[in-house]
Amino acid sequence: MLILLAVFLTCTAAQAVAGAGEDRPNLVFILGDNHNARTMGCVGHPFIKTPGMDRLAREGILFENAFNTTSLCSPSRASILTGAYANRHGVKNNHTPWTGQMKTFLAHLSAGGYATAFIGKWHMPGKGLPKMPFLDLFVSYTYREGQGAYFNCPMIVNGQEVRSRVPYITAEVTDYAIEFMQKVQAEPEEGRRPFCIYLSHRPGHPPFKAPDGIAGMYAEADVSRVLPSHADPLWYGKTKGNVFQGVMMGSYENKYRKYCETLTAMDQDIVRLLEEMDAMGLAKNTVVIYMGDNGMQWGTHDCHGIREAYEDSLRLPLIVRAPGLIPDPGSNRRQMVLNIDMAPTFLSLAGLGVSSAMDGQSLVPVLKNPEAHGRENFLIEFWRYFPENTPSYTGIRTDRFKYIEFARGRSPWLFDLLNDPLEMHNLMGTPQGDKILPQLKDRLAQLIAR
Amino acid sequence: MRRVMVPVLWVLLVMSLSYAGYFGSRHLEGGLLQSWMACFFGTTYFLSIAFGTLYVYIAARLRGANLPQCILASLVNPSIWMTKEVLRLTESHPFLESLYWFLNPLDLWLLSFVIMEMGLATLMVRTILKQKGEEVIVFTMGPVVTVLGSLTFAVSIYAWGEGENIYVYFLEGYRLLFGYGL
Repeated sequence: MLILLAVFLTCTAAQAVAGAGEDRPNLVFILGDNHNARTMGCVGHPFIKTPGMDRLAREGILFENAFNTTSLCSPSRASILTGAYANRHGVKNNHTPWTGQMKTFLAHLSAGGYATAFIGKWHMPGKGLPKMPFLDLFVSYTYREGQGAYFNCPMIVNGQEVRSRVPYITAEVTDYAIEFMQKVQAEPEEGRRPFCIYLSHRPGHPPFKAPDGIAGMYAEADVSRVLPSHADPLWYGKTKGNVFQGVMMGSYENKYRKYCETLTAMDQDIVRLLEEMDAMGLAKNTVVIYMGDNGMQWGTHDCHGIREAYEDSLRLPLIVRAPGLIPDPGSNRRQMVLNIDMAPTFLSLAGLGVSSAMDGQSLVPVLKNPEAHGRENFLIEFWRYFPENTPSYTGIRTDRFKYIEFARGRSPWLFDLLNDPLEMHNLMGTPQGDKILPQLKDRLAQLIAR
Repeated sequence: MRRVMVPVLWVLLVMSLSYAGYFGSRHLEGGLLQSWMACFFGTTYFLSIAFGTLYVYIAARLRGANLPQCILASLVNPSIWMTKEVLRLTESHPFLESLYWFLNPLDLWLLSFVIMEMGLATLMVRTILKQKGEEVIVFTMGPVVTVLGSLTFAVSIYAWGEGENIYVYFLEGYRLLFGYGL
């Protein structure tokens, strides 16, 4: 019965977005980098301008409780592509190579009749870029460990190294995305395939460099409402548990301002992409999703970075615009959703069966119904990544508690997120902690064994 | 020994107090005092690590230390800082891997600065001695080449991709030696 219901939901989802019912929706997935979930205009950030994301949130759904399962770039990206936890897809840190042992949702979509494009930051270890012949377009870069460069980044287009065509990286990859949409739309209507674009951006990653017109726009911005009161005004003093402790030159506040500028630069190209879709008449039949690969801590808990198991690192910005599917555009969802949910969501939207190899769940039921039942907990994993000073850890997050066990160097963490959302009071060894701990340990063991 | 140790300990004292002041300031929960402490002790912490050699070398030399003693003395405090950073990494990584951190680009940068300062300090000591009436030649090949060479190296590793490129090679070296660290 449940299977029948799932098939029904899948089919109706594909039809709802298509509108007329004869076409499957186009899918555009936009991935940000190190994007702290609170750093968008639509969630009330005091100064950042993100009209593109704000528009998506107005016309779609903003997820308030989106998380990654491994808070590090490469593992999270592999989880997004495969729908699997890192312990299954094998990319455990930024050194472990992508093996291709698990099929990506792009491969599934391609086999299911979609024109597929991967454009932008791949950033998974290994020799060069992987072979993905099923893609209609593969644009990426391997420059500087796959991080690329903000300006004049050498690109690799379908295996051929080419020079950048425009200076700034977000404009460059967005141009490729627009051209891909135009190319697919130029195909004869009969037999034209729906498309899926995976558009992966660099902004949010240091060194934070914005293009002319945006660079410096937040130079005078008041950061006092977003950075902790102890953020260094003069020194880029990455604190406890971080690289180059305490002696990096440069104002922490200015670093944050520049970080915001790069996000605005990315958003500018999201606006352009959405406007191009409007002009091509694609908006009504295209699902657009914006998400980050992981969050980022800006001084909270004396930490800077993406790896600690605090909320600022684990939480993701996630916005879904799915015309015809969402009954209440412009609203929020509170269900816990994950990066591993992206792959099953895309397959579901495309009317394809969700692979049993995937750990994630389709977001379609939650998109369609604000009251849909969400997940109760999820597994948090992290493998140490030299030279970053965070030990390997495993943990569980429920809608109320977070419990983290470290492989070495630290005692466990247990936070009551309902009463202590800033995670200031470790409950380990307290009566409340002792009471809840066995249950959390049991659930964690179940998640690991699954 | 005393003529070398005294300047070394002075810099170490500044470094330690700065460390305590800089990180201790974070417990003040914001405000002007916190901000002032962070700025002041952050600056003295940086200066003691990056430019302490200049003082140590000059002071030791003027106290009569010979060249090897001055070189060793100049390396003590930067080495203490680098070792502290290595030990810090042992919270997360095995000891051998943590030792590899000694080769990180920032340490290379610091060492090149230290060497430059030794050359510069030699020239300064000679100038002081000359002003005191001693017959010394200030500019000779050794210290001048040391200053220019180390400065060129320091600037080059930064200019080459703002330090990112050398960091990439540092990570390549890590993977070559230790694999993926799993």
